[in-house]
Amino acid sequence: MLLFRSEETLEGWCRARNLPRRPTINLEQLWHLAVTWYGNRLTVESRRPAPDEMVAIFSAIGLEGPFWDPKSDQWKSNS
Amino acid sequence: MGQIFPMDFDTSVKLNLYETLARTGQALTAMDVADALAAPLGDVLAAFERLHQKRLLVPEPGDPARIRMAPPFSGVETPHRVRVKDRSYYANCIWDALGIPAALHEDALVETSDMHTGEVIRLRVEGEAPLPEPCAIHFAVPAALWWQDIAYT
Repeated sequence: MLLFRSEETLEGWCRARNLPRRPTINLEQLWHLAVTWYGNRLTVESRRPAPDEMVAIFSAIGLEGPFWDPKSDQWKSNS
Repeated sequence: MGQIFPMDFDTSVKLNLYETLARTGQALTAMDVADALAAPLGDVLAAFERLHQKRLLVPEPGDPARIRMAPPFSGVETPHRVRVKDRSYYANCIWDALGIPAALHEDALVETSDMHTGEVIRLRVEGEAPLPEPCAIHFAVPAALWWQDIAYT
């Protein structure tokens, strides 16, 4: 995931590389992901969220659909 | 009086790696961990591989004894520097850059840049939340493909 100052600089980056525009999130959403993923990373019980947990985490901040599903086959056929 | 159960070996390796990264900003090698835990090097390398399978670390390509990533920490310098008190860390991406103060439960200053223009962007985390800053975070890779090339993701 990549950081841009604005939507305009993001669009410029996509155009310069002829890459498709994909989803964006804001700083508040990113912080939610950071805390959910890493808030207990220094503890004995820490682990990466399982795929179904990831879907629920993304959904909680409005990120839904195959792009956010680690088990989706849609993208594998395009890779 | 409750019984104290020892941690399993992989958890000991994981905590040794992460606690050292948190304290120093430096990633240990398998040899360092073997010394610290008084364990055979082969056992530590096997633990590294199992932790990689659990996506808790990424070894250096071509050198399984060195750590490229122990997310959110990077074992190598990157464009995402995170300052916490008098320590500096490197993160693997902007998500991980915020993951470092989230993991440490500390205020932080993230220094990075706009991927297109190179403009320096500083993000401050204070009181367990980032201060508002104009920006957009773009996911170029779908979640199903993140670990096909995690360094690119």
